Amino acid sequence: MNLSFFDQFSSPCLLGIPLILPSLLLPALLLPSPGNRWINNRLSTIQLWFTHLITKQLMTPLNKAGHKWALLLTSLILMLLSINLLGLLPYTFTPTTQLSMNMALALPLWLATLLTGLRNQPSASLGHLLPEGTPTPLIPALIMIETTSLLIRPLALGVRLTANLTAGHLLIQLISTATIALLPMMPSISALTALILFLLTILEVAVAMIQAYVFVLLLSLYLQENI
Amino acid sequence: MPQLNPNPWFSIMLLTWFTFSLLIQPKLLSFTLTNNPANKITTTKPTPWTWPWT
Repeated sequence: MNLSFFDQFSSPCLLGIPLILPSLLLPALLLPSPGNRWINNRLSTIQLWFTHLITKQLMTPLNKAGHKWALLLTSLILMLLSINLLGLLPYTFTPTTQLSMNMALALPLWLATLLTGLRNQPSASLGHLLPEGTPTPLIPALIMIETTSLLIRPLALGVRLTANLTAGHLLIQLISTATIALLPMMPSISALTALILFLLTILEVAVAMIQAYVFVLLLSLYLQENI
Repeated sequence: MPQLNPNPWFSIMLLTWFTFSLLIQPKLLSFTLTNNPANKITTTKPTPWTWPWT
């Protein structure tokens, strides 16, 4: 009973085919390639406006060298956003609840920002390990703390996305189970629970968008330190 | 908790990165922006003048 709530997160298989495959590939269908004309259909126009907005928001704090990352970061936010939002549909599987997928995204991208910094401006990126104006006795301890916080970043990045989506899906399942279970006994309480479930669903839609944004925003902040 | 099980982690990583770099990024590249994604540069200075009745 206790463990069955977590069964929704196990990667499903149908006839030996892992269903994480279609659930990763299908969100790309939501981005239809526009034709070669300047003005396309309404969907493409809205997506164009949205990508423009995201790119502008992400690239404004970065300097010119960081603008090469525009395609990478914008497509990452679109992928995470579509996977998170599609995962909120009932009876679907969300690949972003899998820790292995989030770490597979977080670790190489974080390493890329770090190596960019170490390659292009080693002293400046190593200088982030020690804040300016530190008293001399504190320097060794502070360098160790800052190194730990630097190395823990990819773990925090992946776990943040996993934990937020897992918690949301679990809460939705718990409250909907309560709604169904209470329906024959106390219909009024059940209606109240259904109302809470509705509000929670709105919150989860917001969380799905915010977490995709936060993932990419933190990556761009790490990039900002290193470029 | 099955979501923490890293079992087919390599195939998941390969699949994620193939989707990301072979599907999503080329699709995003085919969008043609009508304006550059930059803030508008507002360099218009107000030109003050003295009102004739003051």
